[in-house]
Amino acid sequence: MTGQFQPAPPGHVPPGLVVDFDFFHVPEGVTDPTQIWHDLARRNTPPIFYTPRNGGHWVFLNYSDIAEAYRNHEIFSTHQAPIPPMEPFPVLQPNGVDPPAHNVFRLLLAPMFTPLAVRKLTEGLRHRADRLIADFAARGECDFIADYAAKFPTSTFLELFGLPEARLPEFLRISKIFFRGTEPAARAANLAEIFAVLEELFREKARNPGNDIASAILATPDANGQQHAWHDILNCGFLLFVAGLDTVTNTMAYVWRYLAATTAARAHFRARLDDPAAFLLAIEELMRINAVSNIYRRVTHDCEFRGIHMKKNDRVVLPNTMANRDAKVFERPGEIDLTRKVNNHLTFGVGPHRCIGSHLAKREIMISLQEWLRHIPDFELADEQESAAAFGGPVMGFESLKLVWPAKT
Amino acid sequence: MKVHVKLAVCQGHARCEDLCPEVFSTDAIEGKCVINQPEFPPELEEKVRLAVRNCPEGALRITTGAAP
Repeated sequence: MTGQFQPAPPGHVPPGLVVDFDFFHVPEGVTDPTQIWHDLARRNTPPIFYTPRNGGHWVFLNYSDIAEAYRNHEIFSTHQAPIPPMEPFPVLQPNGVDPPAHNVFRLLLAPMFTPLAVRKLTEGLRHRADRLIADFAARGECDFIADYAAKFPTSTFLELFGLPEARLPEFLRISKIFFRGTEPAARAANLAEIFAVLEELFREKARNPGNDIASAILATPDANGQQHAWHDILNCGFLLFVAGLDTVTNTMAYVWRYLAATTAARAHFRARLDDPAAFLLAIEELMRINAVSNIYRRVTHDCEFRGIHMKKNDRVVLPNTMANRDAKVFERPGEIDLTRKVNNHLTFGVGPHRCIGSHLAKREIMISLQEWLRHIPDFELADEQESAAAFGGPVMGFESLKLVWPAKT
Repeated sequence: MKVHVKLAVCQGHARCEDLCPEVFSTDAIEGKCVINQPEFPPELEEKVRLAVRNCPEGALRITTGAAP
């Protein structure tokens, strides 16, 4: 995935704004991939710079510029924005379309992801979390990522789509290749497989509709009263697959690693198991500090942004982790304060493409932590950790997290 | 005192509802802000002010006089 080094950046980029920075590359021994971003700030990198790596792209480091890029879809488009450029890439519905066309699928999905709708999923999700944790709770140890963080968001996807837990291994396998695969032929085959699974899933739901998102997408007519185009329906299913699995997995990995290493934080959450508002406030701070997504945009036309000339089709990376530590916006930005009162983090973006799944994601993490603490009130990092790779790219994380707690005999 | 929302700016983050459910909720269609009691009692002022400061879109305003 890395490479494609272009020795000469394009002519419109001032030499003073060129920095050799590969956000897919995490040096050996670095266990927290967000560090490669925070190192940039320590090196006084310009707040808007251009790197020739990964096909060449801009990077915005300040909260205000990142927020403006999210809001200004007339310059910064989500359409066909992958880095490095990957074509053809499915037009994600609705995320890969800008307003006003964006509104069609956004409005279709919106009622299924409101706080009200997500609250109705709570009991089903709690049950799935409980069963996953009960599987290993007595054992006294687990690999948090393989045993829980990879499984639960995928299980949530199955819940949303009305699919049985028995299909979990199949979905775990295809999502693992999608998110971690680097070999182009395998990635292309994997993309085809994902679409074949979605095709079969939607055909089955068309024959036997249920009380699930796939059935609702099929049943919602377009502006002309017709069913939406089949490829849009599949792409919408694909977005839900892409957006909700890896992001939640890796956010949970960060959160549990922090908790395992921080006695006071575990106690903080344990003491608030019966106070959902305070529990959620603390989760919000962990959302700020553990922002794993680096978001892509494509420049729609030649223009000036903050006095810098940008050309049509230039790519832009928006690292939420940098926005969320901006000292102009956050008091004590590097400090984790589980009672932080003002917390306008950008983990879920802002503006028209604000993460539609934010309420579900927070609910997944909250339910997971509540169920976890009921089964496993205290836990720590295992002495022996695998020297597993940390990875950069659009979603940052690491591949293994060994936890230990008193086993039940 | 009265709290107002610009619905064209609201993107449904629902931080207001999380922080002050006495005054704010969200609708079932787009998950946007619904103000249950625009003229909130003084004992809720601190919570409402926190909700306003935590709106990532800056969609909420408090006024003391007539509506803007």
